[in-house]
Amino acid sequence: MNDNALMQEVAGGQIGQLAILFERHHRSLFRYFVSMQRDRQVAEDLVQDVFFRMLRYRASYDSAQSFTGWMYQIARNAFMDHTRKKRDVVDIDEFADRRPEFASKQPGPEETVVRKQDLGLLQRALDMLPTEKREVLVLSRLQGMKHDEIAIVLGCEVGTVKVRVFRAVKALEQIYTGLEQERQENVS
Amino acid sequence: MKCEEAKLLLADYWAQTLRDQDEMELEAHFATCPACREETVRLESMWKGLAALPPEEPDSKMRSRFYESLGAYRLGAESRAKKWWPLSPALQIAASFAILALGLAGGYALRTDNTSDQVAQLREEVTGMRQLVALSLLQQQSASERLRGVGYAFRAEPSNTEVLAALVSAINNDASVNVRLAAVDALHTFSGSPSTRQAVMEALPKQNVPLVQVALIDLLVDFKDRQARPELRRLASDESVNDGVKQRALWALETLQ
Repeated sequence: MNDNALMQEVAGGQIGQLAILFERHHRSLFRYFVSMQRDRQVAEDLVQDVFFRMLRYRASYDSAQSFTGWMYQIARNAFMDHTRKKRDVVDIDEFADRRPEFASKQPGPEETVVRKQDLGLLQRALDMLPTEKREVLVLSRLQGMKHDEIAIVLGCEVGTVKVRVFRAVKALEQIYTGLEQERQENVS
Repeated sequence: MKCEEAKLLLADYWAQTLRDQDEMELEAHFATCPACREETVRLESMWKGLAALPPEEPDSKMRSRFYESLGAYRLGAESRAKKWWPLSPALQIAASFAILALGLAGGYALRTDNTSDQVAQLREEVTGMRQLVALSLLQQQSASERLRGVGYAFRAEPSNTEVLAALVSAINNDASVNVRLAAVDALHTFSGSPSTRQAVMEALPKQNVPLVQVALIDLLVDFKDRQARPELRRLASDESVNDGVKQRALWALETLQ
C-alpha cells in the first residue's frame, strides 16, 4: 500500500496505520532535522511532533497531493515553531560551533570524486549556511527530493527552487573555501 | 547560451533531470567559457561531497517513544469517541429513565450483596492508584514518561482536582509540545467542571505554539464556552498571532455565536 493510501486510512480513523508511515519515514525525517539544527535529541522530539501533527491534521489531508510534500510541509512548520521558541535562547546558526568533527572513515565511491575534500570541513560549511540555503540543499541533496516536491514544501515555483539550489551550492563553496584557507593558515 | 542562462540549468544538471537538448547546449557553453566550466567543476565537487556525508541514525528508543505516544493518542481518541449521550431531547429523557432504573436496581443489588461492596472498594483503590501513577509520571524528567502520565490521566476520575491541576500545569509549562497537546486532549475527560473551563481560558493567552493554541481553541468550542469569546476576539485581531490560529479563532467565534 502506498503512502497516500495509508494516510487516507489514517484520516478515515485507522490511526494504527500511522505506524507503517512512521517505519517508512522516521529516519529521513530525523536526518532532515539533524541537518537543520545538529541536536539529536531535538531532532527526535521534532520527528515525534511531525507524526503527532499528522494525526491532528489528518482530516485536512488531501490525497491528490504528494504525501512526501505534505509531510515535509508539516516538518518544516514544526522546525520553524521550534526555532521561534528557541530564538531568544540560541541563534540557529550557532549550532555550527557545537557539532563534533567527523571520525575518519574508509572512502566510499562518492568520496573518490571528492577525495581531497575534507568531509568534516564540508559539514561545517553546510552548518554555517543561512537556514534557507541549508534547507534547500538538505531537501534536494540529502533527502533526494525532486524539485517539484521541494516547491510544494517551500511554497514557491519550481524555477525558484532551481535558482535557490544553485545559489546555495555557490554559498556553500564560498564558506568551504574560506574554512579551508583558515585551516591552512593555522597549519602554517 | 549566456553565462546566466547556463547557471539556471545547473540544478537540473546536477540532479540529472536536464533535458538532452539543454544538456548539449550547456556542454557547448562550457566548451567556450572556461570561467563557467571552472566554476561548475568547483560547485559540482560540493554537490557530490554532500552525498558522501555520513547519514545520522536515530536512537532505537525513538521507536518505542513513538508507539507509546500513539497508544496515548488512541486512548484519548477512544475516550472522546465514547460520548454516547444522545442529542435528541426525547432520547435524552428515555436514557435518563433507563439510567434511573438501572441505578435503583444496582443500588438494591449492592445493598444486599457484600461482594459487590468489596468490588466497588477495589475499583476505588485502582482508580486512586491510577491517579497517583498519573501524578507521579507527570513530574518525570523524560517527555515520554510524562506522556505516559497523561495516558493515565485519561482514566482519572473527572472530579480529581489534583490530576486536573497537573494537566493544566503541563499545558502551561511542559517543554514538550507533544505532552502539552496530549494534556489538552486529556482535559476532555474533565469537561464537566467549571474550573476546567476557567483553566483552559487562562491557559490560552500563555501559549505561543500555534498547534497548542489551536488545540485549546478546539477544546473551548467542544465545551461550548461562550465566555471565551473576548479572548478569541483578541487572538483573531492580534498581529503577532499565527495566521492559522487567527483563522481558527474566527471559526470558533462563529461556532460559539
